[in-house]
Amino acid sequence: MWRVTLKGLLGHKLRFMLTGLAVLLGVAFMAGTLVLTDTIQVIFDDLVASVNDGTDAFVRSNEVVDSAFGEERNRVSADLLPQVRAVQGVAQAEGDLQFYAQVVDAKGEAIGNPGRGAPSFGFIWNPGRLNAYRLVAGNSPSAAGEVVIDRGTAKKGNLRVGSRVKVLSQSAPEDFKVAGIVTFGEADSPAGASVSLFTSEEAQRLSGAVGQYDGISISAVDGVSQEQMVRRIDAALSDPKVEVITGATLTKENQDQFTQQLSFFSTALLAFALISLFVGSFIIFNTFSIIVAQRTREIGLMRAIGASRSQIVKSVIAEAALVGILASAVGLGIGILLAAGLKALLAGLGIDIPAGATQVLPRTIILCLGVGTFVTIAASVLPSRKASRISPMQALRSTGSDPMKQLGRRSTIGVVITAVGIGSLLYGLFGNVGNPTLFVGIGALVVFLGVAALGPVIARPVSRLLAAPLPKLKGMVGVLARENAVRNPRRTASTAAALMIGVALVGFITIFAASIKNSIATAVDSAFTADFVVAAKGGGPPSLSGFSPDLAQKIKEVPGVGASSGLRFAGAELQGKGVFVIASDPATSTQLFDVKPESGDFKQLGINDVAVSSDRMKKEGWVLGQRISAKFPKGASTLKITAVFGMGQQAGLSDYFISLAGYDAHYTQQLDSQVYAKVADDANPRVVGRDIKKILKEYPTAELLDQEQFKATRSGQVDQILNLIYALLALAVVIALIGIANTLGLSIVERTNELGLLRAVGMTRRQLRSAIRWESVIIALLGTALGLVIAVFFGWALVTALRDQGLAGFVAPVDRLAVIVVLAGLAGVIAAILPARRAARLNVLDAISQE
Amino acid sequence: MNTVTKTSAARAVDASKIYGSGDAEVRALDSINVEFASGMFTAIMGPSGSGKSTLLHVLAGLDTVTSGEVFIGDIELSTLKDKDLTLVRRDRLGFVFQSFNLIPTLNALENMTLPLSLGGRKADSAWQDEVVKAVGLGDRLGHRPNELSGGQQQRVAVARALLSKPEIVFADEPTGNLDSRSSSEVLSFMRAAVDNFGQTIVMVTHDAGAAAYADRVVFLADGSIEAELMNPTSATVLDRMKQLGG
Ligand SMILES: Nc1ncnc2c1ncn2[C@@H]1O[C@H](COP(=O)(O)OP(=O)(O)O)[C@@H](O)[C@H]1O
Ligand SMILES: [Mg+2]
Repeated sequence: MWRVTLKGLLGHKLRFMLTGLAVLLGVAFMAGTLVLTDTIQVIFDDLVASVNDGTDAFVRSNEVVDSAFGEERNRVSADLLPQVRAVQGVAQAEGDLQFYAQVVDAKGEAIGNPGRGAPSFGFIWNPGRLNAYRLVAGNSPSAAGEVVIDRGTAKKGNLRVGSRVKVLSQSAPEDFKVAGIVTFGEADSPAGASVSLFTSEEAQRLSGAVGQYDGISISAVDGVSQEQMVRRIDAALSDPKVEVITGATLTKENQDQFTQQLSFFSTALLAFALISLFVGSFIIFNTFSIIVAQRTREIGLMRAIGASRSQIVKSVIAEAALVGILASAVGLGIGILLAAGLKALLAGLGIDIPAGATQVLPRTIILCLGVGTFVTIAASVLPSRKASRISPMQALRSTGSDPMKQLGRRSTIGVVITAVGIGSLLYGLFGNVGNPTLFVGIGALVVFLGVAALGPVIARPVSRLLAAPLPKLKGMVGVLARENAVRNPRRTASTAAALMIGVALVGFITIFAASIKNSIATAVDSAFTADFVVAAKGGGPPSLSGFSPDLAQKIKEVPGVGASSGLRFAGAELQGKGVFVIASDPATSTQLFDVKPESGDFKQLGINDVAVSSDRMKKEGWVLGQRISAKFPKGASTLKITAVFGMGQQAGLSDYFISLAGYDAHYTQQLDSQVYAKVADDANPRVVGRDIKKILKEYPTAELLDQEQFKATRSGQVDQILNLIYALLALAVVIALIGIANTLGLSIVERTNELGLLRAVGMTRRQLRSAIRWESVIIALLGTALGLVIAVFFGWALVTALRDQGLAGFVAPVDRLAVIVVLAGLAGVIAAILPARRAARLNVLDAISQE
Repeated sequence: MNTVTKTSAARAVDASKIYGSGDAEVRALDSINVEFASGMFTAIMGPSGSGKSTLLHVLAGLDTVTSGEVFIGDIELSTLKDKDLTLVRRDRLGFVFQSFNLIPTLNALENMTLPLSLGGRKADSAWQDEVVKAVGLGDRLGHRPNELSGGQQQRVAVARALLSKPEIVFADEPTGNLDSRSSSEVLSFMRAAVDNFGQTIVMVTHDAGAAAYADRVVFLADGSIEAELMNPTSATVLDRMKQLGG
């Protein structure tokens, strides 16, 4: 039996290469993701470890808020430092600060790639073992007005020791002299981040932490273990809001935080790899089904000479297993190369990942080989069972195309599966369940399987409909294309199903993005009553950057500015729940945002007040004037509900507003994410805009936008993500195209006689190619039509489910969906190129004399 | 060599077809000279492997000769590129093969009009009615080949060959797979096409009875013409076959 299997493989190399390709690509994607993230993980773990290399213990506040913006921790008093230094066994103890500091070069440009690339940080320059940096030029910062920068920043900004630079931080932009240049080990900078180092006093001033540190790093004398050190310091300190941890714990925590962020990234990529494999499984299923049908005689003969059913099953499965293992192994190899390529690509985008050995963990190898082989075998189970049902008698009959049996039963099964999938999806979206992603994901998967099961039933009528104009357009060629597309609905359907999945996901994400963009536009239209907004170029993450409040102050002073305010986004815990909070100037908020005040008074918002949206009030059952508990980085407090307003989260804002004064009191870093300004009634907006732009010369990371531009940049951000997802889904679509090409290729082999006859009675090569091309287009359009129906349903369901989270409503972007249809048609043309060429090359005589 | 009274629809001049080389060399056609007159029904006979199919294929532009020339009317086929050769087949020739003559996805009528519709043409409707009537399918024109009997299928194939009014129809053992009743239906149909419409037909057969439907029989052996017979009957054909065989 094994010999038969091997012969089968060797006899149809091209066919199996194409089938293998469907698995290979998905596995390569998966391997690439795993290897890349493992490599980045190890590099980063090393980086964190070397940053904390000299740290044996760390003193910090135990007041911390964990929100969507990450972990924000309170600072500690600098008074702790002498106490810590006095503890026996402490070799060295230094205060640490990490804060926003952006170096601006002589041309006035921010160095690095703020808003997209690695972040820019300021630190205290610490001497000795507690310094992770190495001076390669100049000296350490020793006075006010001196900064030490990393060599990466120096190279990018063309800076030398003695150069004058501007530094943006939470205080107003200031001039500094470059006192020295450092490297991070051998690297120019730690993972491409921009680093500026200051004296302790300067750092405290620039970060608004006078008399404070983020924490205190301690290096112990030889012979004192980390645990001993922690115990001794802990005993010496009496502040209940302070905790001491070992250097090892600190390293582990930092590493785990990064692992968490990275795993979000890798999970997303793996999901796309699995989608590709899922699509690939349809191709495998289809290829094996066709092969079994074509080998009916051979299998019948084997049955006749005594092969048992289970031997037939085994021989097909063995064939699949071999293809699966080979393809997975090659895919794994390609994935490893791909990871190296991706790393280079990221570096090209400004995300420098330091050199480090490529990590191919045993887990990666096992997972990739296992999943790839499993998918291939699983997809061949049904075809193998079909093969085993071939009777010895069928060896004697000619290979007939199998007629559509049991259509009724198939429809019922398909409808039931689809309904179950839809049910699970809707339950996940609307059922208030604990793990909605699971129900939605499984629901979507089952919907695909259900529609695929229905495929053979709907393929014929839908294809006929789609191909209706063809005979008019292309005459007999069109008729032949249409008839060939529908002659084997089972085959056509499962070929189209692979593309259906890709198109459904592409269409869904297109619809979803359009709905988001629409609701952004609606929100900006309805809530944005300011004339201008100053926002970060490229829309950088608000937690890593922002503008000094100095900017808002300067804008306020521009003649003709009527009302203005900085706006800050933050995370907090209210009544024990993590929430998203906006801070703004209560005096001007209602002029800048149409928040539709309902009761209470926005202007009365003080340090310990909060304004809450009416939606939220209803949901939580709160009343105006009620006090609610709150937890901020600077500690717990009680907030009074002072105002209620109409437009919260559904307008793209937040359900909670606090005052800037409140933010000052409750948060450590003071950076505005955006600044809003409204032009006074008697002023000329153009003049005011020009004057604000003058101020922005000092703030190269900021840009001035009017309402339309603001909308456009927000939509642009959505489009960026959309394009990224398109790129990730492209592989699934490519695999589906390979599937179409594979099916057409196999069908052409079956139709050799027929093609020869057509050529003999006068079909030109061009006509033959055209017929195959159109057949391919019909199959592609069938997949696209089914995919778009699913896409509209998925899009509608998700948008409806997210309505109270700020999504205005379902929007189907007809123009973009039309582009998808056209592209799918073109894809069909491309998939047909090789099969058509092969068919046209058939020798007429061989073809007609072949039995 | 032959006295041909009418103009020739197809001819081969010193045509040779050699397969393989050296020891394995096979001369399927050996400097053959033959002409087929317009409006005549010619049968080609000969033992298996004598080159009958090869002759038909080179005459029909499905294959090329190794040396010599082949003409359809005045056109020398070896000078034509694939595209033009295809158009000659489509517009000037008709074919009937032994089996697998019809496209399974097209119905009988679509199969009949296939060469015409590939050329973007329509049969002249009087002629189509006549052929359709002669083919005797009645109400089965909308049926697909797998719903027709073998004889019906071959008659559809003959109808297809006739419908474009080709200069010549080539048929390679068109009744080879048919029972005698179906055979005579197909052969009568071909005979009628020659008698009533002046069609030229060249048919390969190994059946003396079939050959008797023709106006002329050409006997082939080892790739060249060995004998021929005008106005054959089954008896004269069998007689001649016996002579040649012995
Ligand atoms: N493609 C080919 N390759 C090699 N030899 C061939 C090929 N086709 C035909 N022949 C040989 O040419 C000779 C004539 O074949 P053919 O014309 O088919 O004979 P017939 O139709 O009279 O039985 C035979 O000896 C046959 O084996
Ligand atoms: Mg023959």
